[in-house]
Amino acid sequence: MASFFNRMRSSAGTSSPSSGSSPTKKDPNALQITPLEKYLLDAPPGPLREDGSDKFWGLENFGNTCYCNSILQCLYYSVPFREQVINYPKRTPLESVTTTSTGQSRIDPNAIILPPNHPSLTPARLMKQQSQGPNSARTAGGPPAAPKPEDKEHPDYKKRVAQARGPTISMTYDNTAAYGMPESLFTSLKDIFEALLAHKSNVGVVSPNKFLEVLKRENEMFRSAMHQDAHEFLNLLLNEVVANVEVHSKKLVVEEEEKQKGMNGSADKTGFEQALASAMPKAVPGNTGWVHELFEGTLTSETKCLTCENVSQRDEAFLDLSVDLDEHSSVTACLRKFSEEEMLCERNKFHCDRCGGLQEAEKRMKIKRLPKILALHLKRFKYTEDLQRLQKLFHRVVYPYHLRLFNTTDDAEDPDRMYELYAVVVHIGGGPYHGHYISIVKTQNRGWLLFDDEMVEPVDKSYVQNFFGDRPGLACAYVLFYQETTLEVVKREQDAESLAAAAKAAGEASKEPVGLGLKTNGFMNGIQHVKSAVSPTTPTTEETNGYASLDKALSEPSPIAEPIPQSPNEVTALPQIPTSGMPNEEVKSKKERAKEEKERKAIARLSARQEEKAEKERRKNLEIKRKEMVKKVDEDTKAAIEASKASKVEEDHKVAFENGTKEDPKEGHVEPLGGLSRFKPTSKSFRKPRIFSREAGKEEPVADADEDVASPTGHETAEKPEKYKHRFSSLRKKGSNMKLL
Amino acid sequence: MFVLPPPPRYPISQTTSSPNGGTVQNPVVEMSNILTHPSGPEYQLSVGEGTYFLQDNLHLATPPPHPQDGPIINPNPLATTPAPPKAGIKLSICITSPRKSLLPLYRQAAPSTGSNLGTYSIKEHEKESRSSHDTSSDGATPHFPSSSTSGRTPIFGEDNSALTPLAGKEGVKRKKPKTNLVKSNSQFISRVIPHDQLSKRLQDHNAEGIFVFANIDRAYQWLDLSSPAPARAQPLMKILFAKAHMLCHDINPFTKGPAHIDVIMGASTGDIVWFEAYSQKYVRINKNNIISSSAISEIRWLPGSENLFLASHMDGTLIVYDKERDDAAFVPETNPTPTTAHIPNGTDSDPHPLHINKSVNSKNQKSNPVASWKISNHRILAFAFSPDSRHLAVVSEDGSLRIINYLKEQLTDLYTSYYGAFTCVTFSPDGKYVLTGGQDDLVSIWSIVERRIVARCPGHHSWVTAVAFDPWRCDNRNYRFGSVGEDRRLLLWDFNVGMLRRPKAASIRNRDRASISSYAPVSRNRTESTQVPGGRLRSTSSLSNEGADDDELIEHEVESRTMTATLPPVMSKVIDEHPLSWVGFEEECVVTACGEGHVRVWRRPVDVVGAGEG
Repeated sequence: MASFFNRMRSSAGTSSPSSGSSPTKKDPNALQITPLEKYLLDAPPGPLREDGSDKFWGLENFGNTCYCNSILQCLYYSVPFREQVINYPKRTPLESVTTTSTGQSRIDPNAIILPPNHPSLTPARLMKQQSQGPNSARTAGGPPAAPKPEDKEHPDYKKRVAQARGPTISMTYDNTAAYGMPESLFTSLKDIFEALLAHKSNVGVVSPNKFLEVLKRENEMFRSAMHQDAHEFLNLLLNEVVANVEVHSKKLVVEEEEKQKGMNGSADKTGFEQALASAMPKAVPGNTGWVHELFEGTLTSETKCLTCENVSQRDEAFLDLSVDLDEHSSVTACLRKFSEEEMLCERNKFHCDRCGGLQEAEKRMKIKRLPKILALHLKRFKYTEDLQRLQKLFHRVVYPYHLRLFNTTDDAEDPDRMYELYAVVVHIGGGPYHGHYISIVKTQNRGWLLFDDEMVEPVDKSYVQNFFGDRPGLACAYVLFYQETTLEVVKREQDAESLAAAAKAAGEASKEPVGLGLKTNGFMNGIQHVKSAVSPTTPTTEETNGYASLDKALSEPSPIAEPIPQSPNEVTALPQIPTSGMPNEEVKSKKERAKEEKERKAIARLSARQEEKAEKERRKNLEIKRKEMVKKVDEDTKAAIEASKASKVEEDHKVAFENGTKEDPKEGHVEPLGGLSRFKPTSKSFRKPRIFSREAGKEEPVADADEDVASPTGHETAEKPEKYKHRFSSLRKKGSNMKLL
Repeated sequence: MFVLPPPPRYPISQTTSSPNGGTVQNPVVEMSNILTHPSGPEYQLSVGEGTYFLQDNLHLATPPPHPQDGPIINPNPLATTPAPPKAGIKLSICITSPRKSLLPLYRQAAPSTGSNLGTYSIKEHEKESRSSHDTSSDGATPHFPSSSTSGRTPIFGEDNSALTPLAGKEGVKRKKPKTNLVKSNSQFISRVIPHDQLSKRLQDHNAEGIFVFANIDRAYQWLDLSSPAPARAQPLMKILFAKAHMLCHDINPFTKGPAHIDVIMGASTGDIVWFEAYSQKYVRINKNNIISSSAISEIRWLPGSENLFLASHMDGTLIVYDKERDDAAFVPETNPTPTTAHIPNGTDSDPHPLHINKSVNSKNQKSNPVASWKISNHRILAFAFSPDSRHLAVVSEDGSLRIINYLKEQLTDLYTSYYGAFTCVTFSPDGKYVLTGGQDDLVSIWSIVERRIVARCPGHHSWVTAVAFDPWRCDNRNYRFGSVGEDRRLLLWDFNVGMLRRPKAASIRNRDRASISSYAPVSRNRTESTQVPGGRLRSTSSLSNEGADDDELIEHEVESRTMTATLPPVMSKVIDEHPLSWVGFEEECVVTACGEGHVRVWRRPVDVVGAGEG
């Protein structure tokens, strides 16, 4: 927590040498002058806010799980989403989050401090381990030609520091019993969120073990250790959450019914079905629909047959929008293009019900209902025929902090709705099959933060617009999260922002005559200087000898972390001293200090590793037990799902039948048959997996057989919420199937 | 699924030039400018009046980084160090000869249709007649005189006796800066490279010819676009700065002459350079950031002033400097509380006032700044002076457009973009309209007289970076303007108040629309008073004379898309490979510039018929 203050403080530019020496991570009182501290004083009493908005935790990377980390951070800082996750089905009391059913403490807010002179560690080894960092497996992406004096600005370095500082939470447990839900992605997500809320520290590192375990168990496409698509993951996660929540709420209703029937005897099959049917409309309001309410919007596709001029409309729900990119365009333009008129002709003709048969037609997609949270997926990975694979597009696509949608229908409600950018997922790398994801997120009160796995760092607002795609470094915005707002809110925020900026400027002016460029992480700088002073002495030749395991310990969930016991005064005092101009004596003393510090850290790591082994054993056993449990639960759920599906199909038939007079049930199947949507400029998220087949199989007239699964409900204008479950889940399955192809 | 070897996560620099369509490129290190004349249909612009041909494609050399900076070998894409602000190439164009009959014939031919339309006298701007000794015109662009019922326009700060001794030195030989540029050993300037035959080229220069001043990276070039072809590419003079990047610059139209060009430049470091081109001398203002440490986004000479210029700093202050005054450490003179007079009654305390840190009427005028106003804490991205020398339009990063009566130092209007920042602003030649371009991909037209939005102009595919009127194709009712953007497009627009296309929903009530756009009851009354028949067409000056009304600040609401007229472009074309950063209209050509150094000169259609070959 305090370390974070340090960072924030120095990022605010107030850390001149003089001021930097007084506040320490153990002495929060000294930070009162900073905007952050000021904010804390204004905040409701208590050390932490209840809603989790002031938790700034990194997420551990288990090897290419950055896709997951980046999305999770974006979702956590989506205020309504976080609130809903925490409060559904109900919020768990803090005590039960922090302790297991057996009373064992799960979260150790006071991480174990290792004896500083652990026998197995010598300073020389520590140094080796230190210098080896950038080449470890986890950080294979580090520049091959990484300079020997370690680059303290390098993210890998910062990550290790974050990990070492802790505290860490290992999410190896689940709290499903408390939620009354079977283990699922939703419950593991909830576990993480609640654990963050329960922890006393503002900062730290979470290891989402369980979450990834569930994810990999249930989704084959994410099982490999390979790089995954963050957007696909987002989509899967949202759909999963929808499914999990709905299954649960139905279960609740059934239980309720059964309770009521009580004495009537066993819950016979018909009773069950009745319950389902009657429950569905009831179950939705308030609770289960919240993912829809947040992320879902409606698209209307208007298709005008050029033969008979008949215009048919079809509504589709979307959880996010995938837009094609043009060179040198803006998000606004991409959205406009998304809604541009499109000719359906030649092989892509439209099956018109009026004329009967395939006809040329004009089609356009417009947004009819605007979502509260607009997730925009920039289609940077495009299938190229020549290479027979996906390729990354480095088009410069600019995105503003605020957005309104031009491509709405005339009857859309609130067509001028204002959106503000609150999170950006950035893909770094040259292609779709590898690379790294990070996210930049706007927090409620602390400005913008950069989340790079374990590392969390405050950044300037202008930093957000560094990822248009044209700058060196191959970092491009990939998913943009815009949330609903109003001009009044924006103005108020801007005023506050500008006040803060003014205060900051004033602070800078008084302390630093030249403010430019000093907004970086002052604390980190401090560390850097320490390191750079030491590293030249590192014996580089030995660095590969057998200490790789030390690094490995880092990437493993480590429940123990050592708050650096050394007086942080020294650390914080350092930042402003330029390395070059450092007097010799000082260097020396710093070297010593740095050595000590390193020693401690390495000890922490090593013993963490040992502890780790024991932990693993224990976990294994637990795991086996738990898996058995899960299996049971899973079977139960599956049965329930099957039942509900059966009833659903029946109902669908009924609905279709009833609608038959107005709407020919055939129409629902028109699209897939005609292959209408194949050349749609849109790829609404749940269709995303189809990109592969769609673009690869352009020549095949009927490539979208899978869409049949989706469309039976898709064409109905007034969709009932309970149908989402069916469609989304089925689509999800389709998605994973497609992946296997 | 393919299994590929784990590739680098943080790429090394070699990969940056990989096959990405040239979007990720290492900066080209080219020491000299290159002039080409590409032709073909992609280098022609077809508009109603004829076809514009690309005459010159001048690629300005981007200088290598300063030796002290060193090359960045391995760019860390996540480096959190804020980069110093950069700007694309901006041009300052200067034609030294006085303009005799600037006004094109068609303008006189255009009948003044409405009786309420004051007939324009073709007399040049007031200051022309005032200073008979002055050989220079008031600018390369002709001005519609604000119908001069009010006599001459007051000069900024004329009431302040402390300012007059310095400001009003007429008839005296033009002052030059002190320091010789070439001989300077300042650390601020890295190198100065005058052309070998500078004096000869200057002698040969046609007074009607176009001088262009351009900033690119840390270089600043003085070009003569009218000299013969091979030499045309090479600058008359090139200045390389050490650390500062010039972000903006302006030529004083009032003082320019056959042997005198006053250039003022604003740098990313907050420094200001006053540079006299012919004598190659300069003076630094705001040296060591003594007045403001914030980068300068826009700098312009005050209309009609020999000495004063206005700089917008990125911390949200507007500062008037005098090129001949010394700097002194500046402490705001006035109390920091907002000037309450500007708050419309009825609303709560206004968060957007104009803070006067130092008034022009301050008696302490021994040193710079002459005046300093804080308008917000957001970055000011651009500003423009009205042709009647009374108003100032300022746009900032928070998406606000402010109309300031700078003579009275009062904020009169505050508009907001549809969304996103406003990036550029300009006044129409008659001062009735203001154009803005922004991050909503729109050019917006605002009426100064009616104090409302007139139209939004969709057509760009990305952010708009520069807007400019084409005064040679504007008359009393019709306006031609152009805009360029990050989408590499040049768009031309023809705007006629009567021909605006209204959205369906708004068509019935478009005359009342002003009332929708302002919410304070006070302002509604005010708007109604403007809505008397013909009120829409009142000239700017008569508006400015209604002093009382002007004092009110109107905060305008954002108008719904369904209520605002839209205007389609008459021409839209991708004209460069890189995002464009500047556009300007000259009598014979249209000039564009892109961020990578391409200055393109588009010749206007020669004749109406048979405008021939490229």
